[in-house]
Amino acid sequence: MLSRVADSLYWMSRYMERTDGILRMLRINYASSQDDIPDFSWKPVLRIFSYIKEEEAAAIANNSRAVLQYMVTDKENANSVLNMVTLARENARSVQDHITKELWQCLNEYYHTIRDVQKVRGLQTDDPISILDVLIRQGLLYYGITDVTMARGEGYAFINIGKFLERGVQSADILDIKFSDLQYDFTRMDTNYWKYLLLSISGYELYLKTYRSGFEARNVVELIVLNEDFPRSVIYSINQLQRYFERLKSDRNKEAYRKIDFMIGKIRSRVKYSTVESILHQGLHAYLNAVKEDLYEVGNAFNQHYFAYT
Amino acid sequence: MQTSDLLKSYLVDTNTWDEMYVHSDVRQQYHSVVEFLQQMNIEELNKKEEMAKKMFMSQGITFTVYSSGEGIEKIFPFDIIPRIITASEWSYIESGIRQRLKALNLFLKDVYNSQFILKDGVVPAEMIYSCPHFLREMHGFQVPHDIYVHVAGIDLIRDMDGTFYILEDNLRTPSGVSYMLENREITKRIFPDLIPKNNVRTVTEYPDILHRNLVSLSPRQTANPTIVLLTPGIYNSAYFEHTTLARLMGVELVEGRDLVVDNHRVYMKTTAGLQQVDVIYRRVDDEFLDPLVFRPDSMLGVAGLMSAYRKGNVAIVNAAGNGVADDKAIYTYVPAMIRYYLNEEPILKNVPTHQLADRDEREYVFSNMNRMVIKKTNESGGYGMLMGHTATEEEIKLYQAEILKDPRQYIAQPIISLSSAPCYMNGRLKPRRVDLRPYALCGPEGIQIVPGGLTRVALREGSLVVNSSQGGGSKDTWVLAS
Repeated sequence: MLSRVADSLYWMSRYMERTDGILRMLRINYASSQDDIPDFSWKPVLRIFSYIKEEEAAAIANNSRAVLQYMVTDKENANSVLNMVTLARENARSVQDHITKELWQCLNEYYHTIRDVQKVRGLQTDDPISILDVLIRQGLLYYGITDVTMARGEGYAFINIGKFLERGVQSADILDIKFSDLQYDFTRMDTNYWKYLLLSISGYELYLKTYRSGFEARNVVELIVLNEDFPRSVIYSINQLQRYFERLKSDRNKEAYRKIDFMIGKIRSRVKYSTVESILHQGLHAYLNAVKEDLYEVGNAFNQHYFAYT
Repeated sequence: MQTSDLLKSYLVDTNTWDEMYVHSDVRQQYHSVVEFLQQMNIEELNKKEEMAKKMFMSQGITFTVYSSGEGIEKIFPFDIIPRIITASEWSYIESGIRQRLKALNLFLKDVYNSQFILKDGVVPAEMIYSCPHFLREMHGFQVPHDIYVHVAGIDLIRDMDGTFYILEDNLRTPSGVSYMLENREITKRIFPDLIPKNNVRTVTEYPDILHRNLVSLSPRQTANPTIVLLTPGIYNSAYFEHTTLARLMGVELVEGRDLVVDNHRVYMKTTAGLQQVDVIYRRVDDEFLDPLVFRPDSMLGVAGLMSAYRKGNVAIVNAAGNGVADDKAIYTYVPAMIRYYLNEEPILKNVPTHQLADRDEREYVFSNMNRMVIKKTNESGGYGMLMGHTATEEEIKLYQAEILKDPRQYIAQPIISLSSAPCYMNGRLKPRRVDLRPYALCGPEGIQIVPGGLTRVALREGSLVVNSSQGGGSKDTWVLAS
């Protein structure tokens, strides 16, 4: 496979995964903004998913419609859904001969939907959740079509590598920023706060089934970092990353494979053999930061060894 | 046949061949389509038109116009009424194109090797050496199987008595074939059952024939040669076509930056290291192919490509330097080439063409400007052209001054009226002018012409210019089996 093609597939997939993360987060936060929550603020969401300046974030932090505009349709925000989908489509467009026609059409339609002012007007004037649902569903269509139609070759491996690398970083980010919002105070018993966090990453039901004792910060950490069955946990993402990376093993390019294999194995061991105690002992922020740094390193190594073409 | 509202305002211009009507009667080949259309009401037809548009959009059959930093997706206008060619018309066209391509291929081989045709004075040598597309780099180099033109898109038009004329031989990187394929797919969807009922010949084998020909050109004797399609990239207006062809043939779509030349061999950069490339179907113009030989500022090509080509380590399709054969001034000599190389009379006629480098012809043209169309010899796509009957006096004056600076770069042709075909316009059928571009493929086993092609249509009333860059659209083109 061409290095440029691998690069484009990887980024197409990362942008789509980020889009999904942003939309889910917006949906649940909007819902919670309608609930009776004291000092609700959009600040954590803006911090996780954009590079907005502190004072600009403060200016719109209590204005849901302004945040939705900024995060979904703003052309100036590099991380807006509009820009993410546009980038995913641009990447897909340049590798159309490596993705199925269905997959290309799905991304193309997503692009035309998000650019259609009529279709997204409701974000400002009507029930925004209906609009977010339409967008989320278009994203789910993307996942489904990828799964059902894409050949299980190298391209599929790069798509999944991008997806799970992005998801791992995202989950670590969400957890870290949500806790920093509480000044890493593990004693706070704020049921709604945790409930909405878990809902936003589709982990609420699993949490209830796993822990019968109500909401506790340590359990939230355990679920999001260490639960191997939770598809958005850090460890799950790393396991999948490793799984799809192993498919790239071949007689050619042995050296590069060995290097990245070592890096992924190391992160995986680090997370797999952690416990909530050891994480808290090290400090949640420091721990999550180290995991993120390592994942970024893996991304850089892919750039260097698999995607270099210019 | 009865005429309904649909046909009420179908007024064919005088002195024009209409593809559907003859003496206010519908031609045999259009009977079943017209009947079918008359059963539908305007709402249904409008819905079909809307559906076609949506399909082009959602499939991404679009080109992007970049303005104020933002890309806007546009579709090439598509008219839903098919253009129909009878079996006998087709067999005539087919034999004419086959003959013409045979001669043009021999001409290219000759002009880049022994140059008998120049020595015998059939084509003047100064015509060749003054052509900017004549490449000295191709001299004395034997291309695989002596084939220069692997893919040709030859433009035909019809005069008022229905005679077919060759308007242009596109022998470099002719485009539009993806529209031949996609227009047919759209027609299948919007008019169910209509195609099988009419015995329309299929065009779907085009990519298979092209792929087979590309494989046969591989310099390495291997069962599975690496074939790539070289595109200028996503900003090119024909990018959609490049992805479609790559997908339909299952070959790698590459850009110049994906390729590298080492020791006169071409490689592509893959995730598993370098992989040797055997055949390049390029959709990049000659002058951008290799910055070491042609334009040094080109980012689209590959440094060293021409040397690998000349060493015979990679095949390039179409061959470099074909522009010398489809130059609009050299076009005048194609009938002479057919007589010279094949000892045959040309089947398809040329449009009478005046060389403006010739003093007498220039004077004749200058005094008859309003009946002439003037074209630049090395431009295509309808650029740099003057239609004498619509130009103002001032425009003509300016253009004449331009011509006098370098008369070799211009030719003049009498304005040919072009045949008209029915188009669907706001609930009515209206005649609009059309041309025809069939696609011919030459391989070691001979010349194959897929039964069909691209019908381009001038959608503006009265316009004679069909180029997409000048407001033209396209139609599905049917060749009937019997």
